[in-house]
Amino acid sequence: MTIHLDMYEGIVGAPVIGQLRQLAKGLQGKRVVHVNSTREGGGVAEILDWMVPLMCDMGIDARWEVIQGTNEFFNVTKSIHNGLQGYPAPITTRGWQTYLDVNVANFETLRPILEEAEVVLIHDPQPAPLLKLCQNRKGKWIWRGHIDISHPYRPVWKGLKPYVAGYDASIFSMNTFAHPLPHPQFIVPPSIDPLSDKNCDLEYSELEQVRARFGLDPDRPLVVQVSRFDRFKDPLGVIAACRLVRTVTPLQLVLAGGGATDDPEGKAMLDEVMEEAAGDPDIHVLLLPPNDDRTINALQRLADIIIQKSTKEGFGLTVTEGLWKGKPVIGGDVGGIRRQVVNYHTGFLVNTPEGAAHRIRFLLHHHDLKKEIGIKAKEFIRENFLLTRQLREYLTLFHEALQGSGERRFYV
Amino acid sequence: MKNFRIYDCALLARTSGLPTALNLRELRERLASCSSNVIYHHFCETPMVASFDNPDYRNDVAVWIKLHLGDRVLAERIGIIDPYSFFDMEELRVLTLDLIDERLSELPFVPSAPPGSEFYFMESTTVVFDTGRAIEHPRDLASSILTMTGSSIYFHFLEARRRHPENIDDFSAWLLDSPEEFKMEVNALHSIDFTFFTLSELRNELAKLLSHAGGIP
Repeated sequence: MTIHLDMYEGIVGAPVIGQLRQLAKGLQGKRVVHVNSTREGGGVAEILDWMVPLMCDMGIDARWEVIQGTNEFFNVTKSIHNGLQGYPAPITTRGWQTYLDVNVANFETLRPILEEAEVVLIHDPQPAPLLKLCQNRKGKWIWRGHIDISHPYRPVWKGLKPYVAGYDASIFSMNTFAHPLPHPQFIVPPSIDPLSDKNCDLEYSELEQVRARFGLDPDRPLVVQVSRFDRFKDPLGVIAACRLVRTVTPLQLVLAGGGATDDPEGKAMLDEVMEEAAGDPDIHVLLLPPNDDRTINALQRLADIIIQKSTKEGFGLTVTEGLWKGKPVIGGDVGGIRRQVVNYHTGFLVNTPEGAAHRIRFLLHHHDLKKEIGIKAKEFIRENFLLTRQLREYLTLFHEALQGSGERRFYV
Repeated sequence: MKNFRIYDCALLARTSGLPTALNLRELRERLASCSSNVIYHHFCETPMVASFDNPDYRNDVAVWIKLHLGDRVLAERIGIIDPYSFFDMEELRVLTLDLIDERLSELPFVPSAPPGSEFYFMESTTVVFDTGRAIEHPRDLASSILTMTGSSIYFHFLEARRRHPENIDDFSAWLLDSPEEFKMEVNALHSIDFTFFTLSELRNELAKLLSHAGGIP
């Protein structure tokens, strides 16, 4: 289905849609290219899935290009990803060479598009070297870091910094994620699409079908964590927390996630989780295909509590999704989760499986508060974290990149 | 009487390049040396920044002092400041530094935040644009306000105070410019304590008060 901006009017209101169209007037026909490394799986692909068509709907000549890589390349970029988040992940000289070689090969394909673009947005580290390769660029190049790079593993940062320092600007999801760079660093939190399969309203019958499909008991509380099978999402800690809760009250747990084509570590983590959950009928480990968003949506809506017990996190869009469905979220006290989960307002921040167990019990005990939190959470997302807000900030950034003079305020 | 042209704005936050502050003395040092844009951002632009809760105070400095330094006394003193009443951010800077100095002289120690709760000094870029819409007569003001975005309300009702030497909002300035008498409407606008409203709440409050002042049920 092709999406249009006007489809969101019923959710965010006509003034917000009108504002976006006004803001886009001065950007008509501008060539904007987004580049990342996967078309499906993970938060970046999800964002680009709606952002590019909506930019086109506003008259911007936006396109989305995906670089192609080998297994070796994705192993290196996974190490870069881990290293940027502070995990010691040494990369050999050959690894860095592979990283560059794959970008060189992709650049040859993308050269005409990148050279002509007025704004190029490079998402995450995988395609970062494209800037250095594009000697005849005409436009402004912006590096969009989606993860927390505030305390990177130094050897990895030393290897990557020469590729990102030359950009005209960078964007981070939170101020705490940024790392000093010699150009302006803008803060644009991500957002969710309320009409996507993952977030749209679902019929009761569809929820019941999903409940039956996975053998979930409607009479016992359900906690759901949706995320890639990744060490930083701490799925084993979630299992431990739920087992602690079950010493006093019944509980079902769903750990649901898909694989992403740029995440080779996922399989090993999934095996570990499966082994831990083996033989436990109330722990459901679900590896869902990348396009099974309606199932994810249904699981989140069936949940009593959403959990996202990450030990490292970018912004944590699964938290945003949970809040949009009116659920309290128990989240790890890290990254973007800190921004979204405010104790007693939208859920609880925790640091350990014990802490998570305590807050699950607390919420299961306080039904009224759970309901109140859910209502409030949904309105916070409507005001601040739907895609219309993020689009507005990108349009503002394009104006700044193309005609800003560094002044605090300017008219367009 | 000229039409009231409706403007809107969009804000984009950016890092200031200043190091973070982990204690009250570092906060003071950075506030003393930062650009006025940083002061403006943390005191005046907070209603434009996305939030997941309703903080006690409407400026980031007071919120941080309360939540992360745990100094409720200083938070109360700084939290009550009306930043829009300062035409010059330098005056606001001087007052804030005075309050911090006073508090440092009262305390036997320097309050510190735990690691991970540092104060990040930010600033922003704001793009202002004409919506292409205009209000022809003051009697249409209330209904028009209801169709404005939160950022348009911010631009015309809060940010405007720093553009007018008389420290008034754009709506009041327009009404005062009218050959007709709109004293009740202007008084209604002046009576709003906007500190505790979100922008969407403020929009509804403005429309309600203007409707009542104009005798429209």
